[in-house]
Amino acid sequence: MSDQFLDGDLRSSGAEADAKRTVQPAGPGEGPSPDALLDKPTSIWRLGMRRFFRRKLGVLGLAIVTLLTLVALFAPVLAPYDPIQQLDRVEEVQRRDPPSSEHLLGLDSNARDQLSRIIWGARISLPLGVSIVMVAIMIGAAIGAIAGYFGGAVDSVLMRIMDVILGFPALLLAVAIAYVLGPQIRNVLIAVAVVTLPQYARVMRSSVLSIKEIDYVAASQALGASSWRMLRTRILPNSLTPLIVLGTLGIAGAILEAAALSFLGLGAQPPQPEWGAMLAQEYTLIQTYPHLVIYPGLAIMITVLGFNLLGDGLRDAFDPSLNE
Amino acid sequence: MRTRRRLIAAAAAAALVITACGGGDEEPADTTDTETSTDTATDSTETSASSEAPSEEASAAPAGEGEAVTTVSNEAGCAEDYPGKIGSIEATDTLEVVFTLCSPDPAFLQKVAFIPFAVQPSEHIVETGGAPLENPIGTGPFALDTWNRGSELTFTANADYWGDAPAAQSLVFRWATESAQRITELQSGTAQYATTLSAPDYELVEGDENLQLLEDLNPNVFYMGFNNTYEPFTDKLVRQAIAMGIDRQRIVDTYYPTGSEVPDYFTPCQIENACVGDPWYDFDPEAARNMLAEAGYPDGFDTTIYLRDVYRVYLPEPQTVAQEIQTQLSENLGINAEIEVQESGAFIEAASAGELDGIHLLGWGADYPHVTNFLDYHFAGNEQFGDAYTDIVDTLAQGAATVDVAEAEPIYTEANNLIRDEVPMVPIAHGAAADAAVAGLGNAASPPFGAPQFDSMTPEGDSIVFVQNAEPISLFCTDESDGESLSACEQVLEGLYQYDLEGNAVPALAEECAPNEDGTVWTCSLREGVTFHDGSEFDATDVVTTWSVGIDAASPLHVGNTGGFEYYTYLWGGLMNAPPAEDEG
Repeated sequence: MSDQFLDGDLRSSGAEADAKRTVQPAGPGEGPSPDALLDKPTSIWRLGMRRFFRRKLGVLGLAIVTLLTLVALFAPVLAPYDPIQQLDRVEEVQRRDPPSSEHLLGLDSNARDQLSRIIWGARISLPLGVSIVMVAIMIGAAIGAIAGYFGGAVDSVLMRIMDVILGFPALLLAVAIAYVLGPQIRNVLIAVAVVTLPQYARVMRSSVLSIKEIDYVAASQALGASSWRMLRTRILPNSLTPLIVLGTLGIAGAILEAAALSFLGLGAQPPQPEWGAMLAQEYTLIQTYPHLVIYPGLAIMITVLGFNLLGDGLRDAFDPSLNE
Repeated sequence: MRTRRRLIAAAAAAALVITACGGGDEEPADTTDTETSTDTATDSTETSASSEAPSEEASAAPAGEGEAVTTVSNEAGCAEDYPGKIGSIEATDTLEVVFTLCSPDPAFLQKVAFIPFAVQPSEHIVETGGAPLENPIGTGPFALDTWNRGSELTFTANADYWGDAPAAQSLVFRWATESAQRITELQSGTAQYATTLSAPDYELVEGDENLQLLEDLNPNVFYMGFNNTYEPFTDKLVRQAIAMGIDRQRIVDTYYPTGSEVPDYFTPCQIENACVGDPWYDFDPEAARNMLAEAGYPDGFDTTIYLRDVYRVYLPEPQTVAQEIQTQLSENLGINAEIEVQESGAFIEAASAGELDGIHLLGWGADYPHVTNFLDYHFAGNEQFGDAYTDIVDTLAQGAATVDVAEAEPIYTEANNLIRDEVPMVPIAHGAAADAAVAGLGNAASPPFGAPQFDSMTPEGDSIVFVQNAEPISLFCTDESDGESLSACEQVLEGLYQYDLEGNAVPALAEECAPNEDGTVWTCSLREGVTFHDGSEFDATDVVTTWSVGIDAASPLHVGNTGGFEYYTYLWGGLMNAPPAEDEG
């Protein structure tokens, strides 16, 4: 979702005043004054990003995520070895060799270069986490929007289904779904998306409930706009901000849950270099070969930390109620 | 598999809805109570009110009273529909018991030595209603002192032991699930003996001068199996190509601990008649590729490697070895294999039912030291490998009816050659295992069968603390099958025979069990003057009564812990007087 789209959308509604209404005045020294806003409409995104870049931890999270994304994109170039090549077949090395100048993070139990596996692992974990959240947002947002917009029985039925899903421990439910569907990365995506979509549905529903009462929505309705058009052009675009913030934070959780499922043997299958699966294969060796456990663990930790910091930063920037 | 998953999905979804809607408030049914039928005793059981010598006056047991017995038999005898091997067991004298079999069993002594067939006083069995779960009374070198659930078991030395008295005055059993935890106990001096090291811990123990590594020679085999009802494993050439295309030496050298071996035969060579016939194929990838091309797969094919991620001595690193095999199949034969790790129970169930359409990685650890325990279990009509290889089945049937070891040798030579030719599986490794003990524990050894024999070990102090994997389930090992229960029972209980440190079946409570000419009648002369830990004297009635609890499904004392009595069913073909299969459901 680009700034231009949001800006354009808000302007195209012909409701600058409404757009201004959605922008909350920032604290002293943060962003333009209300007077300036009246002179030149500033999008919620511009304001938010300005606030975001003033928060060091959020910027650190963005840097980590950017770095990890680059690592994932350029894994074939960055990884010194093939992540599934057993190096004891071609070199004078032994499996579980500790870190050395040739193999910076050592070799795993199948004599594969661990650094290369962790680098390639970013290609699985990052897209998986993002995909899970995107799927969950798409489905959750649709459910929440329909429930919030139509209300009544539709709202009750949809939200009770969401409550049922929320009533279970997320990981346990994900394990059950992944077990039933079979151990595959695709099924991890489905399992984690299913258990996380209720939170997006609820947030979307809340947004829709508040936005649909705003004048420009009522005006559109009075002019005869269809429900679908109302949802698509008036309500959804103005409800996305909290979803994006929540989604960024959700990526961290999704990566963790996906790693947990792989750890339990329900996700990536050998020899895929997925971090959770790498941990699962080696965790019993933590006393004797700690490097086999520490590095994949660190990869997960740094990634989750990055997304958490980024998500916190976005939330602080876009949630006016948290402003100083 | 897919259908089962859908069923599970439906059940899980239903459970979700019910739970979320606040269902399930009703009191759950109590499933822990074991209700036993008290009116199913048969006329085939003779009883004796005391442990005196059996007499002709011994009358038929009244139904449901649970008394000591001097005879137990299958009511219908060795009828065609009776799957069991034992027709009757009879106390023919105070110190003599006769086992009458329905067919010869060359492994009779090796089976009898297994601890589920240990003997307890008939009075104790009767008093506890056939379920002395926590208070075993035996004749062994140690007597149970206390069982602090969740904490430890303590034993004291049996001063009246008929054999050599143990050096340790007390013995303590504790448990820790991880190998590293068990080693830490040794290093810190809180234990003297720890069982089942994980392979990476070998170096740790060998590098510590205060510890000793104890090699465990339990016969086992790890293999990759094929089901001959699924393409392309229907083709013998394909199976033979894989047999030649796997570098088994590399697998053993790289992934197995010291002492492990590349098998020349399915059965480990420490078992008689195991290693006769032609040895297994040499590694020859070029010939293997040619065979695969001849079979119509010049570029290999796609398949799946199924396994469970559970540590076993025969497969200490399941996923690592699976990936090695995956690599070898690809590089040596062009076979593209995906790995599918399954939940342990589901995997075993699917493998046993012949539902795995690819290559399955499984293994076997010996229950008793006889070649039938390896070959018959796997190749005498097991669905695991698909349609029965009738030539192998017929040959093994001959072997199972031949008691004399020398006479059986040519039969097993033929059986091994047929297995090599048909390749229902590829034997990959005989895995070595090891226990660890503190350096100061004298005569410490890990026997190939059964638990460590602590009575022959000499500690520096008065006691030995042993750390095993888990807490026993119960101490009525007639109805237990987990190793942790059996190892505790072995300190207290004894059977007619027992395993020595080399794994041979040697007399214990029997001075000898001798077969008749065709091996269908075994007469056991019992040891005189043996007393149980409660002071009662051991005699033939104790033997028959204890056996009747396990093997006679109609006995009022056939109660146990779960009532499964797995080893009686498994090792002796079936239970006496069992209800017809259609009535069981």
